[in-house]
This record gives sequence, structure tokens and C-alpha cells, in this order.
Amino acid sequence: MKPKRFHGLKRPKLRQTWNKYNLYNIFRMRNPKIGSGDNETFFQQKWRAKGMLRGYHGEHVVERKWERMFSRRLLGVADMDARYMAEYDGSEMAAGRGSGKDDPPEWGTDIIRKRTLTPYMQMTFSPMERRLDIAVFRAMFASSARQAKQFCVHGAVKVNGKVMHYPAYRLNPGDMFQVDPDRVMYATGAKKKGGLGESTRQPQATAREDDTDASTEVVTEVEAEAAAEQTSEPKAEKTEKDPETTDAAEAAAVDMKPTRKQIQDVTAQVKAILADEPVSVQQKQNLRKFIKNVKPLLSRAGRANASPSEITDELSKMMSGLNLDTTSPGDKAEAASPSQPRSTSSNPMDDLTKDELKQLEQRMAEHIRDEEENPVDFTKPYATPWRPRPYMSPFAFIPKYLEVNQNVCAAVYLRHPVARVGSAEVPTPYNNNVSQLAFNWYLRRR
Amino acid sequence: MPPRIPTPRRAASAIIKSTSSGAGTTRCLAQPCQQVTASFSTTASRPKFSKARRMFRAWINSHGSVFRKHVPGQTNYLQPMKANHRNVDQPFPLNPLYKSQPVLDEKARELIWEKVMRNGETVKAVSAELGVDIQRVAAIVRLKEVEKDWTAKGKQLARPYARAVLSMLPTTSFRANQQNEPFEAINEMHVHPHTMQQLFWPTSESRHFTRADAAKAFHPKLLSADERVPHPELIQMEKEVLQGRPLWDASERFKQAAMESERKAAAKQQAKAALNEKYTSRVNTGRFEFRFKQFNSENVGPKGRSRTAVGWRYGAPYYDRSKGHQIKIPMSVP
Repeated sequence: MKPKRFHGLKRPKLRQTWNKYNLYNIFRMRNPKIGSGDNETFFQQKWRAKGMLRGYHGEHVVERKWERMFSRRLLGVADMDARYMAEYDGSEMAAGRGSGKDDPPEWGTDIIRKRTLTPYMQMTFSPMERRLDIAVFRAMFASSARQAKQFCVHGAVKVNGKVMHYPAYRLNPGDMFQVDPDRVMYATGAKKKGGLGESTRQPQATAREDDTDASTEVVTEVEAEAAAEQTSEPKAEKTEKDPETTDAAEAAAVDMKPTRKQIQDVTAQVKAILADEPVSVQQKQNLRKFIKNVKPLLSRAGRANASPSEITDELSKMMSGLNLDTTSPGDKAEAASPSQPRSTSSNPMDDLTKDELKQLEQRMAEHIRDEEENPVDFTKPYATPWRPRPYMSPFAFIPKYLEVNQNVCAAVYLRHPVARVGSAEVPTPYNNNVSQLAFNWYLRRR
Repeated sequence: MPPRIPTPRRAASAIIKSTSSGAGTTRCLAQPCQQVTASFSTTASRPKFSKARRMFRAWINSHGSVFRKHVPGQTNYLQPMKANHRNVDQPFPLNPLYKSQPVLDEKARELIWEKVMRNGETVKAVSAELGVDIQRVAAIVRLKEVEKDWTAKGKQLARPYARAVLSMLPTTSFRANQQNEPFEAINEMHVHPHTMQQLFWPTSESRHFTRADAAKAFHPKLLSADERVPHPELIQMEKEVLQGRPLWDASERFKQAAMESERKAAAKQQAKAALNEKYTSRVNTGRFEFRFKQFNSENVGPKGRSRTAVGWRYGAPYYDRSKGHQIKIPMSVP
């Protein structure tokens, strides 16, 4: 038999995934209206309803396992207003008919307002939410329940600090579960182009409308670096004069030519000193160290997003260190001489006001912090710098029974999901009628 | 001498021989013929995608394209077909009973952590002040501690992920030293199954029938609602306010009471641990620590199958080999 498509379009099933096909299916799903006509028996209605819901709620769980998990006891809470409880002790509820305290019925009104009910039936699948894999998916640590299950099986999920291999582990109130952040970033991040999976997979007939941002970003960065090395004429004056542009990428267009030139000049001079002048061993060591330290600075200056002021600052700091370390007066003059080209060269930062400079630096610091937190790293299995995968936001919600800390990719299962007046905590795609029929199916009184 | 280069017919036959299967030959021969006819044909080729796929592609490239990326700071849920206002909190269009409720943002979590860990306020007092569930306050502090630990150890946090997720969820923040809107209902009480039955309980009309009496009517051991709520001290505070005590004084007394109740709970827990320790003898051999506990094999319950009882009992099946991991999956992780 041909296996059914997981995200089929012909007879769609709603699934616990962040897939775009699933999004489309949720979007176009119309109210099934089970039980509105008389063309189905009650059995058929229940069968269809439970089929629709089981397709969503843990379809990877075998039916008899779910039947064992199912509980007919549905949890609900009532909001107790402290003020009201302080004012009344409950006897006011008994004082009613006959004492003149009951509300007289309004016989004249045409429309009788319906009371808001507590949707207990939406809690049919609440035992499923206790499962570790489903909870990991609900906490937004995985892009589907099946992926969450895989994380558990592969040992990437810890419960209270201990690795829990069983996706079927049922969380107890107060349990903390953690997922390996790298896995979470992989599951929720954009796909890497030409990554591990891509190269082996054959090109499919489906048109790939997936973004090419990742590769283009990398390419542009490399190109920018190459261009910075080759071209020599200074440009990009107008971007600097407009510090109000909050975009960090624009600030990165500052021309690095002068700083790079400076650094190269300085290094050449130091090398010349090392080769020609008679200096002491200590000084030689210092000079070599200086050359070694300058190299990363040079490469940083070549990048598209480098800050010239910071680099010049660092360079001057290094050179001052060199000055302090040198002891003989003859060397001092030589070490001081390299600092001359820096002062004379045309620094692009010179024609900025103090405020603008400060803003620019602040933005640079922010950008550099971003870079540190979210670096380009080709060893990662996801596109770097990390960004959320496409079509993630319509699925972004965290139910109230979980408290999630995204920074450490950990969450606490606070309590079992409950129903309240007018709302239920179990995220389920269908309305009350469907859940009710499914609940009745699992009561096993068919 | 015949020409070295084979004629097209012979070349084709050579290819056919190499494929070696009868069915393959017919396919090989049929294909070139089709291509020949196709070059004369002016009809459009068959559409590549089925109708369903075409419709999907049309949607994803037009209306569905807004879901591809989110605007930071606002939710991006599916919008109903005909709606006059933007849907900001309903992820499933067919289920109006599930709403995506806001989560606390980084600033609010930091504030809660500071209140509890730096200022030494009680969890209950913080919960009542900010309107955050008691369990949630405790969980926030616990998770924040993990985060601080990671930072201290220099472990990389998942910051870009956290920023992205919090920017697509509805969030709530708190301002320090100011009156804040409560985040959620804090005094919620579980609907006890005993209270879900209908009772016929005749009493005299003159009787003052309170909540405590109602609880007794449901079950002799059931506590009154005033004691079962998470914040009984809050009710006491409100009572004092109604009796005319100034609010600041009442709230101070509430804080004292919360402190006292937390102290009592901690003492109780400690006593329990101490009792446990008393009946446990530890033997530490470098490699393992053996813990011996006193157990009575007679405490197996009326059916001989008590969960907490020790040892295999004659006639009681032991499910360690059964399918379905009934025993292997732990029930709890301490």
C-alpha cells in the first residue's frame, strides 16, 4: 500500500508541525460540521471526529497506548476572587428564593444571553500534553512533535538534569526539561544551503521557493572582503554623515582603507627595525609579539562591518605598550616614528561630531555584540548567523502550563493543563463539538 | 569495406542490447517517437502540478507570503476569511476557545529573580504583588538560576533564538517600583471531583450555611474553599481591609503571614527529609554509596500489590518483560 503523505493536500490532516503545507491546511480547513445533518450515525460521527483529532494530537503514539493514557477525569479551575471571599462566607448563595434575594426573571427580553461555559471537552487530549516529546514541541524547542521525539531518543533532552531517553515519559508538575541549545537552534533555525542533507538529496521536481539569503549573505561578505583588499580609492562618505540610520549594516559600509594602510605601514616599519637595527633580545621579542598581535587586527579591518575608531584605538594601545616595554632611548624614537602616519593620514572619522561618533560607536558595540552572540559558523548544521525558519511565526504560542526560558532552552512543566470559564489550555485545532465526539469515543460506550 | 561509423538504426540496437531487458527495449524505442511528435505539437504540455498543489502555490505566494517572516513585536497568526479586526491571539481559526496568552519577557523575569533572590522577598508575596502564579514565580527563579550559572561558566546562551521567539509571541512586561497590571489570575482553585456531584442536603432555613459547611457536605475531609486556594493569606488581608485597617498595614501583615507560611512549609520539608535520613544508613565505599532502608515485606496491601511495597510476591505478576515499557519508563525524576 502506498504510504499516505504526512502533509497531504488532497485529504488533509492537521499535524503538530510548523510546516508550510500544514499552515495551508489549517488555513483552508472549514468547520467539519459533524453531526449537523442526519447522514451519519452517532458512531460514524465519533469515528470521524476522533480520527481528525488523533491526526493532530500525537499521531506517532500508538492508539492503544493513547487509550491507556486517556483519562475521563478532566481538570478545571475556578477563579476565586479574594475580595469577594473576604466579603462573603458563602451563606449568600443559600439566601435566595423566598428571602427576596434572587434575581427576578426577565420575561420581557427577546434574546436570552448564553452563559459562558467551561470547555471541558477541549481537554480530551490533555494527558497527551504530559508526554515529554509533546511538551518539548509546545515549548517551541522543536519544529514538530516527531522531531521532539527524535531529540528525546537521541539523548538531547534532560529532565531535572538527567538525560531522559523516553519520549513517552509523562512529566510531573514541577519537572524541568532542557534541550540541547544546538539542537533547538537547528530545529527552529533556517536551513543551511548546501548543508549536510542537501548535497546527498536529489533535486526534486518541486520548485524550490526557499530563500537563498544564507548563501548570498556569505557570498557578499566574502566579496566585500576581497573588494576591500583590491580597490584603493576611498568612498562611502554619505553613509557616515547620516548617523540616524539605525541599520547596523549601513554603518558597516565605512571605508577601511586608511586604517588598513596604516596597519600595514606600521608592520612593515617594525619588520624593518627587526631586520636592520641592533636591538636587545627583549625588544625583539616585544616587536615579534606586536607583529603577531597586529595580524588579527588587519583581518578585522578588512571586514565589511569593522569600526575604524575601535581599530585605531586598539592599534594605538598596542603601540603604546610597545613604547613602554622598550627601554633604550634609541629604540623609543623608532617605536614612536610609526605613530606618525596615523596622525597624518586622512581618518574618515575626523569630520564627525562628538555626538555622532558616540552614536556610531554605540551602534558598533551593539553590532559587535550581535556578532559575538550570533556568529557565522560553518560547522553548525543550520544557516549562520542564526535566524528563525520561514513560516514559524503563525505557530508561535506557548501554553500557560509551561514556563519557558529560551536563553537556556529549558522549561518547567508547572501543572497539568486546565479548563477555565471560556477557555481551555490544550492547544487543539478544532472546535468543541469535534472534541466532544472524540471524548465520547474514548469513553468506550460506542 | 563498410563504414566504421554505424548507422543510426544500428546504434540504437546497440543501446538496446546494452539495456538487455525486453520491457526496457520497448520503452527505449517508444520514447524517441514521442519526442519526434512533440516537436510538431503546438498544444501546451501537461501542467506539472496537480490542482491542489497549484492552489497551494498560489496561496503561499500571495496571501500566505506574510507568514514567511514575522514583524518583530507582533504576532502573526492566520487571519479569518472575513474579519473586520486583526486576529492577534487565536492560532487556530476553527478553535476560538484556545487563545495564545502572553508570556513574561526578559525584563519581567529578571525583575522577579531580583525580588526573590536579591531582595529576599517571599515567593507568595512576589506572586501577589505582580499577579503571577506561585508556581510560575518559582519556575522563573529556577530557570533564571540556570541561566546565571551558564553565564558564570561562560556557556553560550541561545540569545538569537530567545530574541526571535519572544518577538513573535505576545509578551507582558513589568515596571519596577510601580503598580503593574496582574499577569494572570493567581487565586485559582482546582475543581475537586467531590464537588462535581449534585447533592440534596436539607438544612433549616435559619441555618447560616457557609463554604466550610458546604465542603463538609461534599466530603467529611474536604477542606473549605478558603483553605484550599493558593493564597489564603490574601483573603485574610482583604478581610482586615474591610474591617478598616489601612491597606499598607494590612499588606505588611500579609507579607509577614506569607513569610510565616513559607517558613512552616520549609520546616515541614526539612523534618520529612530528616526523618527519611534517620531510617537510612549510608555506607560509602569510595566508588558507590550504599543506602539501606528499613522495609517491612508485610506492607503489601490487601491485594499484595501495593506500588510502594518491596519484593516479588507470590501470585503477583511482574511486568518487567512486558511490552510497552510499563516499568522501564520512570514515573518521576527526583
